[in-house]
Amino acid sequence: MDADARSGETRPETVDADARSGETRPETVNADASSGDTEPETVDAGGPPRLLVVDDHPIWRDGVAERLSAAGLPVVGTAGDGAQALRVARATRPQVVLLDLHLPDLGGAEVTRRLLAADPSVHVLVLSASGERQDVLDAVTAGATGYLTKSASLEEVIAAVRSAAAGEAVFTPGLAGLVLGEYRRLGGAPERETPRLTNRETEVLRLVAKGLTYREIAERLVLSHRTVQNHVQNTLTKLQLHNKAQLVRYALEQGLG
Amino acid sequence: MWRAVGVYRLISLVYAAVIIVRDHERYAHPNGGLAVLAVMAAWSALATAAYARVPARRPWIAGVDVAVAMALVLATRLVDTAARIDHGAGTLPLCWAAAPVLACAVAGGPWAGLTGAAVVSVADLLERQALPRNTFNGIVLLVIAGTVGGHVVRLVLRAEAALDRAARREAATAERQRIARDIHDSVLQVLALVSARGRELEGEAAELGRLAGEQETALRTLIALPPTPAPDGRLDVRTLLEPLAGDRVTVSCPAQEVLLPEAAARAVAAATGEALDNVRRHAGPDARAWVLLDDEGEAVAVSVRDDGAGFPAGRLEEAAAAGRLGVAQSIVGRIAELGGEADVTSAPGRGTEVELRVPRNEVEHHGR
Repeated sequence: MDADARSGETRPETVDADARSGETRPETVNADASSGDTEPETVDAGGPPRLLVVDDHPIWRDGVAERLSAAGLPVVGTAGDGAQALRVARATRPQVVLLDLHLPDLGGAEVTRRLLAADPSVHVLVLSASGERQDVLDAVTAGATGYLTKSASLEEVIAAVRSAAAGEAVFTPGLAGLVLGEYRRLGGAPERETPRLTNRETEVLRLVAKGLTYREIAERLVLSHRTVQNHVQNTLTKLQLHNKAQLVRYALEQGLG
Repeated sequence: MWRAVGVYRLISLVYAAVIIVRDHERYAHPNGGLAVLAVMAAWSALATAAYARVPARRPWIAGVDVAVAMALVLATRLVDTAARIDHGAGTLPLCWAAAPVLACAVAGGPWAGLTGAAVVSVADLLERQALPRNTFNGIVLLVIAGTVGGHVVRLVLRAEAALDRAARREAATAERQRIARDIHDSVLQVLALVSARGRELEGEAAELGRLAGEQETALRTLIALPPTPAPDGRLDVRTLLEPLAGDRVTVSCPAQEVLLPEAAARAVAAATGEALDNVRRHAGPDARAWVLLDDEGEAVAVSVRDDGAGFPAGRLEEAAAAGRLGVAQSIVGRIAELGGEADVTSAPGRGTEVELRVPRNEVEHHGR
């Protein structure tokens, strides 16, 4: 139940791939990532992304908020449960929500769905303890843009927040494994309109799950970095669209449409 | 159980009462008939209460129960006329006399039931002093009630005990999962925070952070449930691979369970563990490793990749040719035994990748 909290599987690939030049130590990645973030779309026009931190554990919540503030990311609000998160989000209009999945009132997927319904431009980044695989998958198919475990270092979190603010999926190997597994499960389902992966997408997703950076994948498959990124993004988008379509169909069937 | 015996006793008492009240004018001693009825009613109440109140004495009560029934059956001789008895009139307690037999069966199982039936049957024979057909039928029914009843009671008790054990085990597991979730949500997160902040600092703070990290790992191991096979003997491979994760090892799994027959699941996990041992030994101190568990449906694939030193192509073949069967060969052997394939690829400076693939139909076949 606790596979990846200790596993250091938290490197935010999108930044990682760009920022580092082949070193394996996370420290180097971080130093590079915070200083040399040159991708134009990761730099938001209005300065650093505004953050909302949602976690029911006060020590953790305040600790993270304090450290992110100290690192120059404006934390515009914190919340201890889902309902409060929705209220604070309405009032403070954050660009990125750091969301713990284990909240006392609402499930992580439900909070994600409602946050996005209230403001489709918000990016939800799941920052949660491990051992909640299905919860992570549910939140991501509900529209969350990525997932980090709580054992991630501050620099990794900062890098992931910047990627998320730029609208990029924050893919860790653990998340790639979950998404791959979800497609395998859907592949076994008899329905026609379930989303499928192309062979290339499967290949890319497997490589991400095996810990390769986008740059390494691009090199291995002789693709551009941007293409690799698009493939990864697609795998997530397809799942999210499928999830949305299912919800709409369910609502129609129940006469709620 | 005892309630059923009580209900039977009551119903048969009512039946016997109706018959005795209807016929007592024709008895040799009408008041004797009513007296027998009174004893039956009194004993019914007393016995039913006694069985319910003092469970420890049930065998003794059952013994007295049988004796009372025997006495009342024999009393028929004293109360009724010989002509009526020889003409086939029933004993006074009628089927009420079967209640003690059932009580014996419930209290002591088939043999006790049989004994009770035998004693009551002897009373029947003594009362009748012959073996007419309906008495014979009654005896057969008593014997059946005693033995079959006792046997069924045994089965029910055993099933109840098994159900009870299962429920208790389930409750314990649920409780443990609840505690694990709580620890996960509170203590572990603080330990993770302390460990993460400590790593960012130096000196004593870093040492404290390292200690917190160790405690976090230890506590996680403590609250993790041991892998348990499903009732069909299959095991979730994830539960075996997850504990392999660590500081430098990432394990990625699907959200759904990945089931294989237990032996196959354990062999796959052992091969994965060996591959990771190899990484620790040969890939260099800074090497990281990633384990991916992929359920392809027809097959289960595990990949172990590291970003370490790697080795030139042909090294494995050279070693094999020189008679040295390294760990790589042992991994390949393990997986081949299951009817699967293992593939090791590497290049200097590019790390090593071990791919294990186990087809489901092969291992299901092996499992039988």
